[in-house]
Amino acid sequence: MSGRYEAPPASGEDGTRCAGETSRPTVVAVERDGARNRIDALRPGAFLAPMPLHARGGAARIALVGTTAGLVAGDALALDVTVGPGAELELTETAGLVAYDHRGGASSWRARVTVAAGGRLQWEGKPFVAADGARVDRGLEVFLGHGATMLWRDTLVLGRSAERGGSVRSVTRVLHEGRELFVEELDLTDHQERQLPGVLGGSRVVDAVAAFGRTPAKPHAPLTTPLAGPGALARTVTPGAARDGACLDQVWRSWATEL
Amino acid sequence: MTGELATLLLCDGRLPVGAYTYSAGLEPAVAAGLTRDQVPGLLRARLRTVSVTEAAAAVLALRAGLRDPVDHAPVQAALAARTPTAPLREASAALGRGVHRLARRLAADHPAVAALEHAAVPGTAPARPLRPIVTGALAAALGVGEAALARTVLYDDLQTVTSAALKLLPGDPLDAVAWILACEPQLEAAVAESRAVTSADSLPARSAPLTEQWALEHPHNERRLFLA
Repeated sequence: MSGRYEAPPASGEDGTRCAGETSRPTVVAVERDGARNRIDALRPGAFLAPMPLHARGGAARIALVGTTAGLVAGDALALDVTVGPGAELELTETAGLVAYDHRGGASSWRARVTVAAGGRLQWEGKPFVAADGARVDRGLEVFLGHGATMLWRDTLVLGRSAERGGSVRSVTRVLHEGRELFVEELDLTDHQERQLPGVLGGSRVVDAVAAFGRTPAKPHAPLTTPLAGPGALARTVTPGAARDGACLDQVWRSWATEL
Repeated sequence: MTGELATLLLCDGRLPVGAYTYSAGLEPAVAAGLTRDQVPGLLRARLRTVSVTEAAAAVLALRAGLRDPVDHAPVQAALAARTPTAPLREASAALGRGVHRLARRLAADHPAVAALEHAAVPGTAPARPLRPIVTGALAAALGVGEAALARTVLYDDLQTVTSAALKLLPGDPLDAVAWILACEPQLEAAVAESRAVTSADSLPARSAPLTEQWALEHPHNERRLFLA
């Protein structure tokens, strides 16, 4: 599998998936090889195809390209990212992901990220949009070794324009050297509960930049907070349907120079 | 000790532990525009999110306090990882300090209370035990049961909001009592959820993003009455 790239499978004309493909994981693995970062595995999954990009500076660069229109009932998107000891990876996405009306069904989005000792991952996620009728269970699990860092952009949008949005439960669990660094369940499954004051109120966009493994020197108050362990979180909760993220774009650019 | 008198003490606002400095998120919420008619919604939001995490952490600390040897560090670490916003961790540690002082006065030699000295996890902030850990340890020393402890923690959070509302959003004080009583089904559900937690890594982690955002803005607000 080393260094090989497989073309993504052609998707059906009518948007249906071939049997057995609805949960095939997308796999990305990068290893440090002397002065360079070598792509060790790139495997397209049922929903995302990893495309290598021209490397800028030292880090390997890979774009995740959507190979389906979005998520529908029964879909199970899985992503497995491994950054080896001392390796560096910049992961980008070419477009946001829309979860459509699931018509009573449910779908899932799961990512498992391992950054070994001294490794570095920057993952600049694009918006995840839960359209009316969607019901998605999202889960991110991160395992960071000693001295490993991860910078992550995550934008959750409830509904396309003029929609109130579907149901989303998003669980993030980050372990740093085996210990919990950040654990959160964003339970936005119930329309009434998520509109309570202090949860989201009338807002529909939860946008975040998270630094794990190291606390950036630049705090960007009052938007950001250091975590209890090494790391920081910058988050906005806004009513807009589109990404209203100029502030967080700035935080991303600033922290990207440090992590 | 049966713990019944101690239970009353723990949820009494007159307990000298410095709780009057805390509005349980109400003052930051009011600064962000929360109105009096939204207070019942805020109470329900807290019972569903941050308060159930605190109550469950207190129950885990109570159980840890009855084991030999006592180790509060796993619960402290789990709660800190679920409290991403620094001002909220600092407020919890400051409130915990008041309860810790009381615990030392009442039961300094109890293993649950003595072990609080080593609750903080090296390399993480704050370096002091968070309030639910201290409350759980004190409950262990005073013989308070799990359900009573969880209910105390949840009730205290509601009363903290409503008593701060008397200062920040003046109105009929009798309303506030009715708001609390109306929360009973959600409160009992949170008691049950707190008791069902079996380990630190399964501590509930439901977050309230706006509450966190408001807490971050709060230190920049002028003329604050409460620390959070």
